[in-house]
Amino acid sequence: MQNVKDVFIGAASVFAAYYLGLLIVSATSLFIPGPLLGLFILLGALFCLPQLESCVARAVTVPLKHMSLLFVPAVLGVSAYWGDIKSNALAIIIAIVITTSFSLGITAWFSQRLFNSKKTKAIANTKSNGHLDD
Amino acid sequence: MIEAFNRAMSLSGVFWLSISLISYLIALWANKKCKGHPAAHPIIVTALLISLGLYLSNTQVSEYQRAASLLHWLLGPITVALALPIYRQWQKLRHFGWRLFASILLGGVLAPVSAWLTLFVFDTPSAIQFTMLAKSITTPLAMESSAQIGGIPALAAVFVIVTGIVGAVMASVTFSLFNVESRQAQGIALGTVAHAVGTAKAIQMGEDVAAMATLGLCVNGIFTALALPVVFGLFI
Repeated sequence: MQNVKDVFIGAASVFAAYYLGLLIVSATSLFIPGPLLGLFILLGALFCLPQLESCVARAVTVPLKHMSLLFVPAVLGVSAYWGDIKSNALAIIIAIVITTSFSLGITAWFSQRLFNSKKTKAIANTKSNGHLDD
Repeated sequence: MIEAFNRAMSLSGVFWLSISLISYLIALWANKKCKGHPAAHPIIVTALLISLGLYLSNTQVSEYQRAASLLHWLLGPITVALALPIYRQWQKLRHFGWRLFASILLGGVLAPVSAWLTLFVFDTPSAIQFTMLAKSITTPLAMESSAQIGGIPALAAVFVIVTGIVGAVMASVTFSLFNVESRQAQGIALGTVAHAVGTAKAIQMGEDVAAMATLGLCVNGIFTALALPVVFGLFI
């Protein structure tokens, strides 16, 4: 019974944050999408009320895991743009395949260098500390 | 929302929602059979099966979209639900500090800008160019923000998924090409550039890689979704 109540509270907070986000965005004509503002509202609520986490988790873990299903109607809608895709196929393929691989490599390389510099510094520090201790 | 529910309760609503659900279950099974290979992403198999159903029953895509509008409507609330994984990663974010943010920022800017530049050089229509800017973030956020900046949400969903698959498939080759051995760095890059599909690949590579990928996915998702509409609103 408690589980049902938790799911209900969790789902209610998600929907409340969603509608609050939509309401604020439409009332203030903010630039950001309503659901994104809803995300921030829920995030804020979780920070203010940490006990809400387990309820929200009960309600959203399964939907989050299977959210791919929700994209299906939108993805099928792409058939309407088939002509556009075909006439720009080469550019789109380069933009997705080449630049994604390239960005993946550069990001990993950069991050490896950043974290390595931290490690060498830490080793240097322990070394110098060790020296002082001697 | 009420309209979406009413349609779901209609005969064609129940029919196409069930077809969608069954197709998705078959897709999950197929994905498992392929040992979770990124190219066997459940959405691809689901979309193919439903297309087959539409073709056989001679149904228009727009008719299917109307019948299954409940699924589409749920995209909004599921975007809000992403607050949970972000909340859970918060402590780790603080632990890794600015180095993590700098890495995610580089990937988060480099991936969309280089893709957009390619389309710009090839002079493709501006709606496609704008849509490409959202390609490296998780699908629901990408669809929302592309709609906001004059892109095409349906196209955004496809770009995002293909980007994720390319990232996950190319990961091992790219990392050895760029001489990246640090598992931490590999995880960050996968999550930042290839979002949820990259994170699924990272989960197969190990728990430490997966944790970093989830951080990349969350941080880049929020910042790109926030930055795109604001930048467009202010300057264009």
